[in-house]
Amino acid sequence: MDQKLTKELAKKLMEFKGEIRGIDIISDGDFVLRNHGEEALKKVEEKLKEVGFPIEYKKLKPMGFYPGGLKVLSLLAIKEALGYSDEKIEEIGMAAPRFSLIIKLFVKYFFSLKKFFFDFSPKIWREYWTTGEFVPMELNEEKQFATARYQNFDLHPIYCLYLKGYFTTLTKLITGAKKVECKEIKCTFRGDKFHEYFLKWE
Amino acid sequence: MEEENQKISLLVEDISLLQNYIEDLFNFLPIPICFISPRKVILEANLAFKEISGYTTEEIIGKSIEEIFKKEEIESLLKEASEKELVKEKETVFITKEGKEIPVSLSIKLRKSPEGEILGYFLGFFDLGQIKIVETQLKEKIKEFEKLREKELVLRIREIAKSKDIERKVEELEKTRKALMNILEDVEEERKKAEEEKSKTLAIIQNFTDGLLVFDKEGKVSLINPQAENFFKVKGKEVIGKSILELSQFPDFKLMVEAVGKELKGIFRKEVPIREDLILEVTTVPTMREEEKIGTLMILHDVTREKAIERMKTEFVSISAHQLRTPLSAIKWTLKMFLDGDLGELTKEQREFLEKTYQSNERMINLINDLLNVARIEEGRYLYRPVLADIVPICQSVIDSYKEEIEKKNLKFEFKRPKELPKVRVDIEKISLAIQNLLENAILYNLPGGKIEISLKLKENKIEFSIKDTGIGIPKDQQRRVFTKFFRAPNAMRMETEGSGLGLFITKNIIEAHGGRIWFESEEGKGTTFYFTLPVAQKT
Repeated sequence: MDQKLTKELAKKLMEFKGEIRGIDIISDGDFVLRNHGEEALKKVEEKLKEVGFPIEYKKLKPMGFYPGGLKVLSLLAIKEALGYSDEKIEEIGMAAPRFSLIIKLFVKYFFSLKKFFFDFSPKIWREYWTTGEFVPMELNEEKQFATARYQNFDLHPIYCLYLKGYFTTLTKLITGAKKVECKEIKCTFRGDKFHEYFLKWE
Repeated sequence: MEEENQKISLLVEDISLLQNYIEDLFNFLPIPICFISPRKVILEANLAFKEISGYTTEEIIGKSIEEIFKKEEIESLLKEASEKELVKEKETVFITKEGKEIPVSLSIKLRKSPEGEILGYFLGFFDLGQIKIVETQLKEKIKEFEKLREKELVLRIREIAKSKDIERKVEELEKTRKALMNILEDVEEERKKAEEEKSKTLAIIQNFTDGLLVFDKEGKVSLINPQAENFFKVKGKEVIGKSILELSQFPDFKLMVEAVGKELKGIFRKEVPIREDLILEVTTVPTMREEEKIGTLMILHDVTREKAIERMKTEFVSISAHQLRTPLSAIKWTLKMFLDGDLGELTKEQREFLEKTYQSNERMINLINDLLNVARIEEGRYLYRPVLADIVPICQSVIDSYKEEIEKKNLKFEFKRPKELPKVRVDIEKISLAIQNLLENAILYNLPGGKIEISLKLKENKIEFSIKDTGIGIPKDQQRRVFTKFFRAPNAMRMETEGSGLGLFITKNIIEAHGGRIWFESEEGKGTTFYFTLPVAQKT
């Protein structure tokens, strides 16, 4: 995914209707800080400033709501500022649940995979986003796989990568599996009506 | 709506602050703490936990707790925590990213929902590694200390033992010193005694009437007493250190050395005429220490005077015998004429008296003959005329001359000899006399009806003569005197009053003059066997 972050794109993304918890954007900054340090983070912030949406990650409120487009802007700025590959974007997604307060709050639902998957995972989505829906589709504990989709949510393909990483880690945390494979089998940016992920763990 | 939004905004801010507060508190705690899901997945770990484990947040979150603790132990502890809700300070092993095993004291708190559902577990632990290290070090130190103490104790004990040992040794040494002093005193006393003894011995040696010569181990003169100096007319210093061979350079020693021989061997005794006026009886005796010969003592006894007396006595006997034999021969022939009736018929009574007188005269003549023989032997005038002869006829001749006596006493007689015997070089007359003496004794001291057996055997170039009788025998205590002059055993004297006691003396001298040897075996009451040997004549 090599779409260049421009002011126009930024502006367009910022027009996206729907808000996201600050924690989800903060975790991007934390990732950069942990892995590359202050200078790298400054570069990212500079990039954001360049496209007209200057933000300081440390000043964001974890539980505060921010424009949903800011999340994509954050990822694109990191990608461009630090020359990240798609895999690295996935890594940001993978790291996020490990630091997420929301996930910690939902830990109480981890005792039952089925209950968590069907009852609580849509709630988690809503804890983050004020738009879109997370729909659990299928869970096979015996064969250790699941399918889920989110719909009415067309932000940017980079967020699909981010979510792929995010779901991978979340599945690990819930199932305790050492190896988790996550594939986005359907995507609105590929002409599908919704985004669908297939999760397989061992 | 505005008011509601403000409230929500405040709440969100409070939640954020609360999250920061919790995170700060959580990370400030120096005790490693983590939170795990009911599926044993680590969902949260504080800074201390990450530091001790070596994992980053990304690495640790999502990891199974079984990967960082020993599986069996943590399972058991979680089970216990599920049951009791709290498990406190249980020792287990924590495994770091590097694989290092750290002993920890682990506490687990079960986290439940208000509905009682298990939400997960809080785990916190103390690193016992350092404590263990300190404990191990302490134990080692204690061990070292104990070892040191033990060593010190051993050293102390050794020192004490040593000092006691030293004391004991000092005591022993003191005792030894005293014992040595006593020994020294004893030795000194013994030395004095020995000195005294030596002085005494020297005095005895110096004043000994016999001459003494002491030869050392190497056969050299080590001591000579004044008497010996007088005998050989030498001074001590002239002969000390000289061997017997070297002594022969002194004229007076020459004969003695010739008699003794060039080497001093065993016990030796011989009369040696040193000069015309000196005859010495030389006796050599080896001096022994245990079984080792350490020298030879030569005793020089002056027998000059004894020899002179003996010679005079012999001369007297010889002269007397000669003087007696002439009238006795006259008496013999006169009596013979009477008995033969040359001087007229004799009555029975006259004949009996004259016969007894004749026999007494005969005995007298025999005695005189014996005395003359002894005198000759002693004077060295007993001359031998040896010829090559057969011993059997000599024996037979003697036996024949005693046939009548044998029969008269009803004795069984046997003469055993081999068919052939080599000849001997003998003086027939003297050997006949010797055999005669032995046969006469066998008849005289035999019991009537007894037995006499003469045997001749060849043994290693020697002819052995033996004469065995079944007579009275010779008492054991008298046996050593059998061959001395005038000896007659008491039982012999009781049985046969006649007899000069010179026969065996003469016989011994005859046999030895022939280079033979004579001996006997006897048991009182059972009989006697006399033996003599004669060397077989060498063919020329």
